[in-house]
Amino acid sequence: MSSLPPLPKLARVAHAGHCNRCLSALPSSHAHIDASRLAIGFYCLGTLDLLGLIDEKTKEEERQSWREWLWQQQTRGVYGTGFKPSSYMTAESPNDTMQDEYSKFDTPHLIMTYTAILTLAILRDDFTQLDRKGIIRFLGSCQREDGSFTSFPEGGEADLRQVYCAFAISSMLGDWSGIKVDRAVAYIQRCFSHEGGYGQQPTGEALGGTTYCALASLYLAPSATVTENANSYITSSERHRLIRWLVQNQAPAGGFSGRTNKLADACYCFWCGASLQILGVGDTVDKASLASFLARCQFKFGGISKDPDDRPDPYHTYLSLAALCLFPLEDADVSWRLPRLDPLWNASEPTANWIREHVSVSPCD
Amino acid sequence: MPRIIGDGGEGPLLFSERPDWADVTPIPQHEGYNPIAPIFYAPEYKDATDYFRGIVKTNEKSQRVLELTETVIRMNPAHYSAWQYRYHTLLAINASLDTELKLMDILAIQFLKTYQVWHHRRLILTALHSSSPPLSDPSASPSEPPPLDTTPKDFKAAQIELAFISRVLMTDAKNYHTWSYRQWLLAFFDDARLWEGEMSFVERLLEEDVRNNSAWHHRFFVVFGREQLPGDESRESVLKRELAYTKDQIALAPNNPSAWNYLRGILERTKTPFSNLRTFVEPYTKTRSSEEPKEDVLDLENPAPSSTAELPCVAALEFLADIYEDESENKENAIEIWKTLANERDTMRKKYWEYRIKELLENA
Ligand SMILES: [Zn+2]
Repeated sequence: MSSLPPLPKLARVAHAGHCNRCLSALPSSHAHIDASRLAIGFYCLGTLDLLGLIDEKTKEEERQSWREWLWQQQTRGVYGTGFKPSSYMTAESPNDTMQDEYSKFDTPHLIMTYTAILTLAILRDDFTQLDRKGIIRFLGSCQREDGSFTSFPEGGEADLRQVYCAFAISSMLGDWSGIKVDRAVAYIQRCFSHEGGYGQQPTGEALGGTTYCALASLYLAPSATVTENANSYITSSERHRLIRWLVQNQAPAGGFSGRTNKLADACYCFWCGASLQILGVGDTVDKASLASFLARCQFKFGGISKDPDDRPDPYHTYLSLAALCLFPLEDADVSWRLPRLDPLWNASEPTANWIREHVSVSPCD
Repeated sequence: MPRIIGDGGEGPLLFSERPDWADVTPIPQHEGYNPIAPIFYAPEYKDATDYFRGIVKTNEKSQRVLELTETVIRMNPAHYSAWQYRYHTLLAINASLDTELKLMDILAIQFLKTYQVWHHRRLILTALHSSSPPLSDPSASPSEPPPLDTTPKDFKAAQIELAFISRVLMTDAKNYHTWSYRQWLLAFFDDARLWEGEMSFVERLLEEDVRNNSAWHHRFFVVFGREQLPGDESRESVLKRELAYTKDQIALAPNNPSAWNYLRGILERTKTPFSNLRTFVEPYTKTRSSEEPKEDVLDLENPAPSSTAELPCVAALEFLADIYEDESENKENAIEIWKTLANERDTMRKKYWEYRIKELLENA
């Protein structure tokens, strides 16, 4: 690909503006976000974090009120403690005390608990309110016999995404006592498909997003011997096939596709790109083509979309920037300069360090 | 359902306007001061969810709860609490699950990309066909399959489901949820007669689009996903049949990664050396010359690339290099191929092919 057009600027301020608008309000057509609002919050604030614009584009009193709102989503009950996706099932109560235990239909959500911790770290919360023991118990309540995890204790989705969140949370807290790691690892291994990627569940077609979830989990797992070339949970044949399938997904457009024979999509630049980084072979990515594709996905009024013909959203905006963090171009314009990213937690290095210092259980805890 | 402005007020009344809901106390949502990404709810959504929180609070399970949850779900199909409550209500009031399934036929097509639609369907099917319907914790334990011999009723139901899924796949042939559901259904009923029909189904889809990777994946699932193979089929005959089919598809469209991935998949799965395919692969690695004589001998086992195929084929070169890599006398040839791929044929993956060369030299 020698004929790439010159790279335009990365429209940092416009992308921040897109996310700031979503943070302040979403139109009624976004009702379907209700059950995953914390995730949208993470993608918006994560975008500002990667752009280094948190302090510039938000006020301290806003950040304070967001932190308070996030803590209001932490909820306790019989299954342990975690975060709800939003207040969409929370009753307005006259005395405004949020101490009520959750009901069967208002339980915490595993994926939202992961995004809440990340978002609070981006907002530099001190985490004194984090119910660590309760969260560890909650993780255990979500694990099933086959090693997988459901989104909430009473059921819901159970695939590699929930496994990843349980592993990420355990590693952030530095406490793996809540889950049966061996069973979960066995479940992950069962998801490996004939193509060389991991499907969403054991019978699923190889998919970029869940391949990331599988690999990040296996490299976060406590007893994994993580070196540059070996992970005890992945055989050398699997590793070989993984790398092959992942690089094959870099599509002619320059971005990655999530499945064989599908078109490039900005989010898979992260899911597949980060997977290759985790395997220690990030150098196999054609970085210039990747950046060129993502540059074309920039929407003229801010935000990044899944492909050049689509509309932007915070999810694709954040993941595009996260991909660019992993594959910096040495000779690009200064606007493309982004922080280093922790590929296993999907957080900027400063935020990942904040988690290490404030979330991990201290020895005296 | 949202009322359409200007329709003369003919639309459905809000729950707060309906006398038959007057006994329920609606509960507004607590938002708190300056929430993250608040949604400007439509009045109809706010109304329905206020009443939904109301009935959850009083734990009401009744026919009208089905109407209420349907209203919420139609405005927000990802409202998993509404789905969850609906499922519990269906079981509690002994509602007709066949009726529920008919409603789901409509909602599945309307909200194809929403996970909850498919999850709910799974629960309904399980409840309909298990000896005991999953009660409090439906998905938190492995679903209990129906009795070993599928009853005629279950068999018929499974056939109807498969036909329904086939219709849905016609609107979106690569929908991940739909395919997952089909695979779950086959494993759930686990009836040899159902599995057998899958091969012709997959072949039909691949005839329409040989690049449909979901269909290729499903084929692999059907061939290798079941614990026991049908009695009259030996491992060898399965491998032979799959190789023949895949080679034919590659001959039709050589630059199709789905087919090559499938080929590699079946070889790895059956521990068959790649080198067994050398005769087949070689013609795909050659540049086409204009004065090439017409092939007189037709080798049915190794179909040649079609006359319009773009050659050489990158996937074939890669395959041949993988064969060479394992042969001590051919390692140089592997490196030559990788160099060609890196510098001419597949420059997007230049760094990858160079990585392969480096790896081979390091392990030498
Ligand atoms: Zn995407």
